[in-house]
Amino acid sequence: MPINQKLLDLLRKGRSAHENHLIDGLIDGRVSRREFLRHGSVLGLSATTLAAVTGAAGFELLSARRAFAAPGGTIRVGQIVPAAVIEPVSVADSGGITVLSQVAETLVLSGSDLTAQPLLAESWFPNEDGSVWTFKLRPNVKFHSGKVMNADDVVATFERLADPENASNALSALKGVLSKGGTRKVDDLTVEFHLDAPNGGFPYTVSTDNYNAVILPADYDGDFEKDMNGTGPFKLVSYTPKVGAVFERNPDYWGDAPLPDRIELHFYDDYQPQILALQAGDLDVMQQVPVLQGIALLHDPNVTIISTPSSAHQQVHMRTDSAPFADKRVRQAVALCLDRPGLVQGLMQGKAVIGNDSPFMPAFPATDHSIPQREKDLAKAKELLDAAGGGFEVTLTTEKYLEIPQYAQLIQAAVREIGIDMKLNIMDQGAYYGEAVPGNSPWLDSVMGITDYGHRGVPNVFLQAPLLSTGTWNSAHFNNSEYDTLVASYIAALDLEAQKETASKIQTLLLDETPIIDAYFYDYLTPTKAGVTGVEPTAMGHLFLQRASL
Amino acid sequence: MLVFAGARLLPGDVGRAMLGPFADPAAVATLNHQLGTDRPLLVQYVDWIGDFVTGDLGQSYSYRAPVAQFLWPALLNSAKLALVAFCMVVPLGILGGVMGALYRDRAIDRILSVTGMVATVVPEFVSGLVLLLIFAVWLHWFPLSATAPADAGVLTQFYHLILPSIPLVLILFGYIARMTRTGMIEALDADYTRTAILKGLPRATVIRRHVLRNALLPTISVISTQTVYLIGGLVVIEILFRYQGIGSLIYTAANKKDFPILQAGIMSIGVLFTIMTILADLLYAALNPRIRFGGDG
Repeated sequence: MPINQKLLDLLRKGRSAHENHLIDGLIDGRVSRREFLRHGSVLGLSATTLAAVTGAAGFELLSARRAFAAPGGTIRVGQIVPAAVIEPVSVADSGGITVLSQVAETLVLSGSDLTAQPLLAESWFPNEDGSVWTFKLRPNVKFHSGKVMNADDVVATFERLADPENASNALSALKGVLSKGGTRKVDDLTVEFHLDAPNGGFPYTVSTDNYNAVILPADYDGDFEKDMNGTGPFKLVSYTPKVGAVFERNPDYWGDAPLPDRIELHFYDDYQPQILALQAGDLDVMQQVPVLQGIALLHDPNVTIISTPSSAHQQVHMRTDSAPFADKRVRQAVALCLDRPGLVQGLMQGKAVIGNDSPFMPAFPATDHSIPQREKDLAKAKELLDAAGGGFEVTLTTEKYLEIPQYAQLIQAAVREIGIDMKLNIMDQGAYYGEAVPGNSPWLDSVMGITDYGHRGVPNVFLQAPLLSTGTWNSAHFNNSEYDTLVASYIAALDLEAQKETASKIQTLLLDETPIIDAYFYDYLTPTKAGVTGVEPTAMGHLFLQRASL
Repeated sequence: MLVFAGARLLPGDVGRAMLGPFADPAAVATLNHQLGTDRPLLVQYVDWIGDFVTGDLGQSYSYRAPVAQFLWPALLNSAKLALVAFCMVVPLGILGGVMGALYRDRAIDRILSVTGMVATVVPEFVSGLVLLLIFAVWLHWFPLSATAPADAGVLTQFYHLILPSIPLVLILFGYIARMTRTGMIEALDADYTRTAILKGLPRATVIRRHVLRNALLPTISVISTQTVYLIGGLVVIEILFRYQGIGSLIYTAANKKDFPILQAGIMSIGVLFTIMTILADLLYAALNPRIRFGGDG
């Protein structure tokens, strides 16, 4: 398709400098169509504008085909039992998030394609330096109680989450981003967020990524389980702690009418009984299965697996401040021992993508794909290790969680080939994290360890707490002022090209220093009975069922 | 006090366990303050024991609801499952033991003791899984879950509990049968049995009135201790069959440091153990006149 200059000029009118710069990038070919859609969505360009610009710039339009799906029926879902009371401010586990996602919604949806999509906010835009973001709310959204949602509810929600007095689980996501008093009402349908520092990825902080940030009525009293009063597509019928929950279609939902009549959530303590129930036809959807537990389902013709790409990974850290890993050549040698394609195929059954020892997974728009991929090279590893003083004994400390113990064994076998004698200390998850403060946590104190990091729509969290010299989860004890500066400028950058440039430097620096090994990023797997359509999971644990059909 | 101290000795603090390792320290501190878990242990203990003796079990930390709301249904569920398993395994085990003793060292005895031994060493998650695959997933004869619908009658509830009981029957059958067999053989060889037979009593009467009565004494103490296992030690079965029993209640409470539930659960198992031991002693006495009359005969 040719470029339609007239249409483009028309579409450019009234756009900010950042937005026009992004459009230039698309036309020049510096920004791919995919990257344009992702980054444009963060800057607040609407889906229609994005589609119009890509069309005018000569790209094929994605046809918005949606298969016909029959309304009605009851969707029966198996999930891990929520770990605690269903309370949006404190919820911290995927079981609780699944329940919450039936009834309550955030301003923004962090989609499975990593775009930021409008949910309760219709549009948003930053000021010149990204320190103030303005969100326009969707009109005529009703809570289940019948009350119409407005700016007061949004302000109250974020003030509640940012208040250190509230034991809010969102505090760690909001730290250094948004403080109490930073959320202000402009008019009934407009809210301004005045941030602690410029932040180019802020829409993700108010998206499903920050699962605590569901909008609740301003007069919310803390007893959510009573009626689960949110704006979501389903309304609570009954909730029995530790057993399950039943929901019915919300007839006043602001979006397209939800298809299912009812949703039944059945709670389980483990995956195995859910797998059996899915195979026996007692369940239509299993909210999630880890790949090792789900091998039986991967090849079952009666089961469809929804594979959601995610940035979740098992981070291997090496203490950069003490022997034997103080010398970066030793850290590089360890990383060079791993057969990454083998890990993805063998350990993860192909349900993962290869990582290059930085949190920049391939799917992030800012990731520089021209950085050479680290591959297994035993000769080079041996050379580096010998130059640094040769083999040694070391203990790898980690947690009994998902495939981590098996991964640890593979690392143990791999480094044996270059003369490192590795002992494994695999602990219960609670014991590994300990008190989560240095001196009282194998996670933060061990010479070498493996830690599970869940999915995030942007790499910001992965870049900060686990790697900054001031980071609270810095188990590698990485202390590099150049890195700290690069990350600060990456986070502040509004412009995709500036982000890409910084990302490239961060990737290069981390690959060279190797404080951590990120060998693969694994998919989030949601099995459904064959024939079930329209189930939309997120890698955080949400399960959107308003378009689900049997 | 032991229960209280034992529970609190678990490493880690409550707020951290609830909010996870990645939560902000300020949020953890606030939560600990709200729950009262930042107070000195002695104060917490006095508080807890004071409420406990007045029948107030307190509030669950993680579910923010009264402990009683979880404890009583879980105990009742466990009692139901134990009852079904008990009703199956006790007659079967005793019958197996009696048969083994009567046909000592013959084929039937060998088969019974070998299958009993094999069944005892198969872990319940293996036998449970195999049973589920065959009878629930493939044949659809039994439901997958031990939990019956909320409004189900006694028969439906019983139907849901049959499959989960079988692994327990398998584990206990060999044990009970072996105890009964040993007791029986001892009693069969005893002088009073020979006397009774020589007196000309019919064989069935001898076995019923003289042999069984003496042979079952050790079996009773075994059964009484195993009943507590049947009620409190079934975490694996409860998880596999999706059943809300006291075993998994205690297990998850320990994992999440939900001390009020953990303490109430362990205390109730302790009380149950005491009751079962007393019951067994009473039954023992009823069957054994020597103990009933002061133990001088």
